[in-house]
Amino acid sequence: MTYCIIARCPRTGRLGLGVASYSFLIGMYCSDATRANTGISITLGAPNPGNNALAVRLLAQGFTSAQVLAQLVQNDVNSDYRQIGVMDREGNVAAYSGTMTRPWRGHLAAKDHVALGDMLVGQHVLDAVVEGYAADPAASLEERLLVALEAGSDAGGQVGKGGRLPERSAAIIVAGIHDYSDWDLRVDAHDVAVKELRRVHEEFKLYADYYVERARSPRNAKTQMEFADMVAADQPKEMPAEMR
Amino acid sequence: MTYSIIARCPRTGRLGIGTTTFSLACGRRNESVRPNVGISKSQAMYLRAHDPRALNLLAQGFTPRSVMNVVEANDDDFMYRQTGIIDREGNVVAHTGANCGQWAGHTIGPYYAAFGNGLAGPQTVAGIIEGFLADSDAPLEDRLMSALEGGCKAGGQATNGIHRPERSAWLRVVDRQDYPEIDLRVDLHADTVAEMRRLLERFKLYRDYYGERCRNPQDALPEEDFVPQAAVG
Repeated sequence: MTYCIIARCPRTGRLGLGVASYSFLIGMYCSDATRANTGISITLGAPNPGNNALAVRLLAQGFTSAQVLAQLVQNDVNSDYRQIGVMDREGNVAAYSGTMTRPWRGHLAAKDHVALGDMLVGQHVLDAVVEGYAADPAASLEERLLVALEAGSDAGGQVGKGGRLPERSAAIIVAGIHDYSDWDLRVDAHDVAVKELRRVHEEFKLYADYYVERARSPRNAKTQMEFADMVAADQPKEMPAEMR
Repeated sequence: MTYSIIARCPRTGRLGIGTTTFSLACGRRNESVRPNVGISKSQAMYLRAHDPRALNLLAQGFTPRSVMNVVEANDDDFMYRQTGIIDREGNVVAHTGANCGQWAGHTIGPYYAAFGNGLAGPQTVAGIIEGFLADSDAPLEDRLMSALEGGCKAGGQATNGIHRPERSAWLRVVDRQDYPEIDLRVDLHADTVAEMRRLLERFKLYRDYYGERCRNPQDALPEEDFVPQAAVG
């Protein structure tokens, strides 16, 4: 009951993931999934919460993505219930959808990205995720990941026994060159989590450079309240007629 | 402007953080908590690099006091930063720079630190501690949540006498595993502390189900069947 894309930006080498789920707290299961200059690994389905950190440590030791995947599968008696994507810092990928994950389940793996999901309406959801991701290669990785999630949602997303299952949580995480994330936004326990993630993302974009600059040069920084007032003053109170 | 509590549960050894702020998405700072090592939470005009560096030093065996000295020596703008550091044994230090924004301050207890900047006044920190200490037998996550509610109720954040809303919050508890036991986030909300309470109560309904589904997926109910039970329970 989740769809996800992990990807490497070929322009910048940044690594990221976007995920949306009927589970209400999917972001919690993405802890340690990304490590700058190392790779990404995510385990979904009925996740094994230790897998992400183990996989990233193996990548850091030089295991290939395929070897990492093989290790995760053999290390887990319940691997049939897991869905796994792995990508190294060069964009080499491996993916696996256990036979006991719920249909429609599957993955689309290619150089620099893997889309994967279970309990989807059909494969066209993953096709849409990849198309959304591929739509604008010049955009930032976080933007591309979010567009991918929106496309997956628009294509019908997840389905359970009683019909469509709403996205109740979503997250985007991007690692750059630091040992902390470049971009990490989350929505937990929401009725329309992908839409809400877009709202948070747009608001955060207004502040992202300010937060970096304030940390670097606190002596010259505006206070956040001054900055927030500037941001508010820049927002159109009412959308001009020609933009409606 | 932010207020936080970091703590080690003296009964279980679990480490946890509760924080809320006017800034967006404060829970993106995964790097501030490391299981079996400690917590370093920097705020005010913080540098993201501070916390992972501090935890690297803690992991090598330095005390929180020594770590703080290294961090200070490495930072020309230390007076703009506020930081609390706790190790796995519950040793705590805190620092509030002179230029952190009024009112700013911290209080250290035997296994916790409460600290904030851009606050209504010292009453906010007092409220955090009152909430945290209200029931010392409660699970750490409940104590952290009560601490945030205590700080909020006591007046929370203000600049120039004007109250400033909490827009994001983060509650994370780690145990022995290298992934978090609890990790709840509110990234942008009009009533953040109440939303965090809602998330925590929701999480309590699901935690056994999610944990069991990970461990024994062959016996797990489909989540859409579990949800109605959770709504009743």
